[in-house]
Amino acid sequence: MIRCTGLAKHYPQGRARKQVLAGLDLVVRPGQRLGILGRNGAGKTTLIKLIGGVELPSSGVVERQMSLSWPLGFGGGFQGSLTGFDNARFIARIYGRDYADIRGFVEDFSELGRQLAMPVKTYSAGMKARLAFALSLAIEFDCYLIDEVIMVGDQNFQRKCMAELFEKRADRALILASHAPEMIRRLCDSALLLEGGHGRLFADVEEGLAAYEAL
Amino acid sequence: MAVSHTESHTGARLAAGWRIQRRVIAALMIRELTTRFGRENIGFLWVMAEPLLFATLVGLLWRIMHGVSEHGINVFAFVATGYLPMVLFRNAVNRSVGLFQANASLMYHRQILIQDFVLVRFCVECIGHMMAYLFIGVVMVALGLFPMPYDLALMLAGWAVYGWFTLAMCCLLAPLSELSPVLEKVMPVSVYLMVPFSGAFTMAAWLAPGARALLLCSPPVHGMEMMRAGLFGPAHQAYYALFYPLAVSGAIMAVGLWLCRQVRRHLVVEA
Repeated sequence: MIRCTGLAKHYPQGRARKQVLAGLDLVVRPGQRLGILGRNGAGKTTLIKLIGGVELPSSGVVERQMSLSWPLGFGGGFQGSLTGFDNARFIARIYGRDYADIRGFVEDFSELGRQLAMPVKTYSAGMKARLAFALSLAIEFDCYLIDEVIMVGDQNFQRKCMAELFEKRADRALILASHAPEMIRRLCDSALLLEGGHGRLFADVEEGLAAYEAL
Repeated sequence: MAVSHTESHTGARLAAGWRIQRRVIAALMIRELTTRFGRENIGFLWVMAEPLLFATLVGLLWRIMHGVSEHGINVFAFVATGYLPMVLFRNAVNRSVGLFQANASLMYHRQILIQDFVLVRFCVECIGHMMAYLFIGVVMVALGLFPMPYDLALMLAGWAVYGWFTLAMCCLLAPLSELSPVLEKVMPVSVYLMVPFSGAFTMAAWLAPGARALLLCSPPVHGMEMMRAGLFGPAHQAYYALFYPLAVSGAIMAVGLWLCRQVRRHLVVEA
C-alpha cells in the first residue's frame, strides 16, 4: 500500500512561491490501477515525483509499504557518456540484481542490438524510451509509476510495453499520469483528478473522465 | 524490495539500510571511474596520474631552488609528502562544487542519497592520491631519495586525520555551492589559502611559538605533522593532537550533513 497524507509542494517563483499541490491525501492499494488526470501544470508530474521520492514534499508524508518503481520517464537517471550496457549494470548493482538476467531482458525487450554498446547520448528519444522501459521492467516491482511515457516509441514497441506491463503484470498496482482519455479508460480502475492543488478521487473511471472533460 | 518501509525492527532496518548504502556507493564509484576515465588505455589508473605529475614536478622545482635538504630533511621527500595531501584537498573540494545539480537525475532512484555523491567523489580522489603517494614512495625509496617509513601506523593515522578533514569540507561545500552561486566563483581562489594552512611546505617545529600556535589551529596541519612524524621519525620534532582535528572536522561534517538535508528537500529534479 502507498499512503500519501497531507502532501503539499511549492516551488520558489521569484520571491513568491508557487503552490503546486496543497494538501493531498491518497491511498493506493496493491493491484489498484490509478489514473492521474489534470491539465498541463496541474501537478501530475510533481505528484509522481513526490510519490516516487525523486523530490521531497514541502509538507506531508509518503509511506511506501510495497515496492515501487522509479518514475518511468525517458532520460531519468541515464548517464549520457555511458553505454546502454553500463547503465544496465549500474541499475543491476543499485537494486541488487543479477546483471546477466537484466542484460538478457534488456537485449530482448529493447531490441536495440549493438546500439546498447554505444553511449546513451547517441540514442534517439525513442531509443532512450526503449532502454528506460526495458530497465524498469527488468526489475520486478509491486507498483509501477508511469508519467505519459507509453506514448513514445513506435507501434510495435507500444504493443510490447502493453503486453509486458498490462498482461504479464496485470496483478501489479499502477499509477499512471496521462492526458489521453482512452489510455486511462483502458488501463485504470480508478482516477484522480488534479485541479488547483487538490485532488478528487473517482472510484469510477468514466466519472473521472467526465469531470476532466468538463474542466 | 530494499526501499520499502515495513514496520520491522529498527536494528534490522538499519542493517538493511547499511547494506543498500554499501551497494549504492560501490555502484556509484564504478560509475564515476568509468565516466571520468573510460576503459581505454590505462583506464582508472589515470586517477593517480595527475597528482603524480604535480608532486614530481613541484618536488623537482624545490629541489632545484632549495638544494638537497631543508632543515635536514630531503627536499624532494618533504615536498612530495606535503604536496600530495594538499592536492587531494584541492581536487576533492573543487569537485564537490555543483555536485548535486550535476547528479540530480540519479535521484530517480530512492536508495541513492545525496551524501553518497560527496562520499564517492571523495573516495575516488582519496584512492587516486594515496596510490600516487605510494607510487612515489616506492620509486623514491628505490632511488634512495626517501626514507623507509619510521612508523607506518602513525603515517596512516595522519592520512586518516587529513582525509577526515577533507571529507568534512567537501560535505560542507557541496551543499553551500548549491545555495550560493558566488561560492562557486570564489572557490578556486580560496582553496589557495589552504597552502599555508595545510602544513604542506612548513613543519610546525620550524616556526616561532606564536606562529606555530596559529598554524596548529588548522586541523589538517595535525594530520600532516603525523604523516611526517610517521615517515621521518623522531629526528624531527612534530606537533600534533588527535582529538582537536577530529572534533573540529566532526563539527564541520555535522553542519555539512545538515545542509545536505536542506538542499535535498528543495532539490528540483528535471522530469
